[in-house]
Amino acid sequence: MKKKVLLVDDSNTVLLMEKMILAKGPFEIVVAHDGVEGLEKAKSELPDVILLDVMMPRLDGLSACAALRADAATAHIPIVMVTTRAEEANIETAFRNGCTDYVTKPINAVELLAKLNNILENAAVAQ
Amino acid sequence: MKSETQRPFIEKVAQDTRDYVQSLFDEMQRLSRVVAELEVEIQTRDERELRLSQRVEAIEAEGRSFATRYAEVEEQNSNLANLYVASYQLHGTRDRDRVVAAIQEIIINLIGSEQLVIWEADGETELRHVGSFGVDAEEWNTITADDGLIGLCLTTRTRFIVNQSPILPAGREKSLTACIPLLLDDHLAGMIAIFELLPQKDGLAPVDYELFDLLASHAASALYCTRRAPVSAGVAQ
Repeated sequence: MKKKVLLVDDSNTVLLMEKMILAKGPFEIVVAHDGVEGLEKAKSELPDVILLDVMMPRLDGLSACAALRADAATAHIPIVMVTTRAEEANIETAFRNGCTDYVTKPINAVELLAKLNNILENAAVAQ
Repeated sequence: MKSETQRPFIEKVAQDTRDYVQSLFDEMQRLSRVVAELEVEIQTRDERELRLSQRVEAIEAEGRSFATRYAEVEEQNSNLANLYVASYQLHGTRDRDRVVAAIQEIIINLIGSEQLVIWEADGETELRHVGSFGVDAEEWNTITADDGLIGLCLTTRTRFIVNQSPILPAGREKSLTACIPLLLDDHLAGMIAIFELLPQKDGLAPVDYELFDLLASHAASALYCTRRAPVSAGVAQ
């Protein structure tokens, strides 16, 4: 069964890259171009996992992550933050806001797929 | 007299003893044969185990080789995806701002640097700033032949890549990682300078050099096309 992945990023380059990476797996892709649209799509689509960029217009990824965790309908959805800056402080903030894991840019396809598969397997076991 | 009566008994004991010794001898011979058979079996088993362990080792080596090959193919796929995405983004529009934005996105998201400048050639000997990220745009507004390493790249139309050049960047160019002339045949369309890489990047990867090649030609043609089509032409797709 295909797992639904919500990609939230304002960069078409990153979205295209993520789509190409995920095309190798059994994933159904849903796309949002900023944090606000990401929240809307998360509520309406209820994806199995969300890939969330940090720097975005309207609502940044960290705030969107916190909002998703605060909403009962989306609180359970695993969130992978996609960050340009991998400094410890940024990662700590991301985890404090409720992210499940993170990947850094430039995105490594093998790393991303491994993390997504791991998260989805853990979610299946938890259910 | 007494010995006469004892003789049959002694003979019987002697016979029994001979029989017993014979039976021991027979048993010893049987056991020797068993031991010999077991030795052969053990040797056969050792040889079989050796062959099996050699086969296991060969299969493990084959497995490792497949894993390495799989990782290489995955990396190659990923690199091709990078190149496809970069090419697609560059040629998806004839709008100048969007081409410049696409070049920036490629450098930030695929190469991994948030310090970059993009210039367009203004004649043959000068570069004019058309886009930048993470640097002071004013500082890099124009470049002429006299402007350090980037000026040298402008004059010679050659690429600078740190660690591949005997020249060390200095002054305001100190953190320069790569300077890539954008060439259409021999015609200079522009130039890209990439300064510090993102902290999580250990250095340039093989795919980065491929992306430099792609940018050098495709960004050049994309920028050139924006000159041919007015800004108002918008998205071509």
